[in-house]
Amino acid sequence: MTYIENIFVCIAAPLLITAVCMGKSHIRFFFFCFAGMGACLLSAYINTFFVAYYDANNFNATVEIAPVVEEIIKLLPLLFYLYIFEPEPEKIKGAVLTVAAGFATFENICYLIQNGAEHLGFLLIRGFGTGAMHIVCGAIIGYGLVYVWQRAWLKVAGTCGLLGAAITYHAVYNMLIAYGGKGQHIAYVLPLLTIAVGITAGKLLAARPK
Amino acid sequence: MVEFVDNIVQFAVTLVAGCLSAVFYCRSRKQPYFLLACLYGCFALAGLYWTLYYLLFSETPQIFYVSETGWISGYVFLYLLQFTLSDKEERAFRCPAMWLSPIVGILLAAYYVTYGDVFATILMNTMMILLSWHSIRGLVYWGGQGGEGRNLRHFHLAVICFVTVEYCLWLSSCFWVSDTLTNPYFWFDFMLMGTVVVLLITVKRAVGM
Repeated sequence: MTYIENIFVCIAAPLLITAVCMGKSHIRFFFFCFAGMGACLLSAYINTFFVAYYDANNFNATVEIAPVVEEIIKLLPLLFYLYIFEPEPEKIKGAVLTVAAGFATFENICYLIQNGAEHLGFLLIRGFGTGAMHIVCGAIIGYGLVYVWQRAWLKVAGTCGLLGAAITYHAVYNMLIAYGGKGQHIAYVLPLLTIAVGITAGKLLAARPK
Repeated sequence: MVEFVDNIVQFAVTLVAGCLSAVFYCRSRKQPYFLLACLYGCFALAGLYWTLYYLLFSETPQIFYVSETGWISGYVFLYLLQFTLSDKEERAFRCPAMWLSPIVGILLAAYYVTYGDVFATILMNTMMILLSWHSIRGLVYWGGQGGEGRNLRHFHLAVICFVTVEYCLWLSSCFWVSDTLTNPYFWFDFMLMGTVVVLLITVKRAVGM
């Protein structure tokens, strides 16, 4: 049995002290980092509930339940931030990506505790692959939110649409991982490739005159 | 085998249409192309998930609504596209023909729930009712006009075709004949791909570059 909440406390405590020491200017980063890790913790509980409710096996949980639950829970702290603080569009991207990074970090730590840390090569690939996948899902929502939250009528429907896109991307990744073998290798490369394409497209777009 | 080919073609068509929409958006920076790219992106991802699941595990997803989420997101973006392409006067316009949309939608939903999942059916049919409500209104509003009005009429007509083929597709899935081309389900699925491509053409005509 993994005492996931104890792990959360152990990781959050030093970060919390650092946040206090570093002052107000950095508090936003730590807040979203905690939010990401908290979202990971909460989604673990909710995943377990749905697995029991649907009497699902490990495969169904990974491929069908986890992507939906994780992406919805990851969005909740962001919606809170957007509705309460009404931030500038530029601040939204940073917030989404920090939540995603916090989520991926906590997920990796839980994975290490459950599966051991003997194989550095595999863990390196997994760390980058899973991290990149969460960042891609965050980027889909983050960059989309910057666009849709500038237009009142786009807000709700646009957010739901972006959430759907992120869920499906996450589910495709998890499915390839669950299949194993070559599928697993493709899965680890896919998010890194998506990030590379995204960065290149962004640079090309920025270079074009408006 | 036919189902696999059908899914692969569907994924390829939506992917190509999505890439084209993204290119059009990069060139023109016009919002409808962005929404269209999101629509095709969602359809492509949902199609990829469904196809991979079928290819790797020889069955379709049984427990949760992952592909459905992608498809519903696509419908949401199509709805937003309709909203973007309409003006205030069109949105305020009302005609009796619009009521055809909820009547047909609710009747069909009542039939579909006897075969499928209640929650997903209600969600999908609600989106179809909204889409057809807006497109019937647009079609009547722009009726008989030339120029821009004619282009928008074509777009609304394409959405009505899309909704009709979707309804027929779901209806045919209730009466599964076989895994061969004799099954009407595959005819409607290929027709659906056609309407998806027509959507891009009609939006390009209505919006320009």
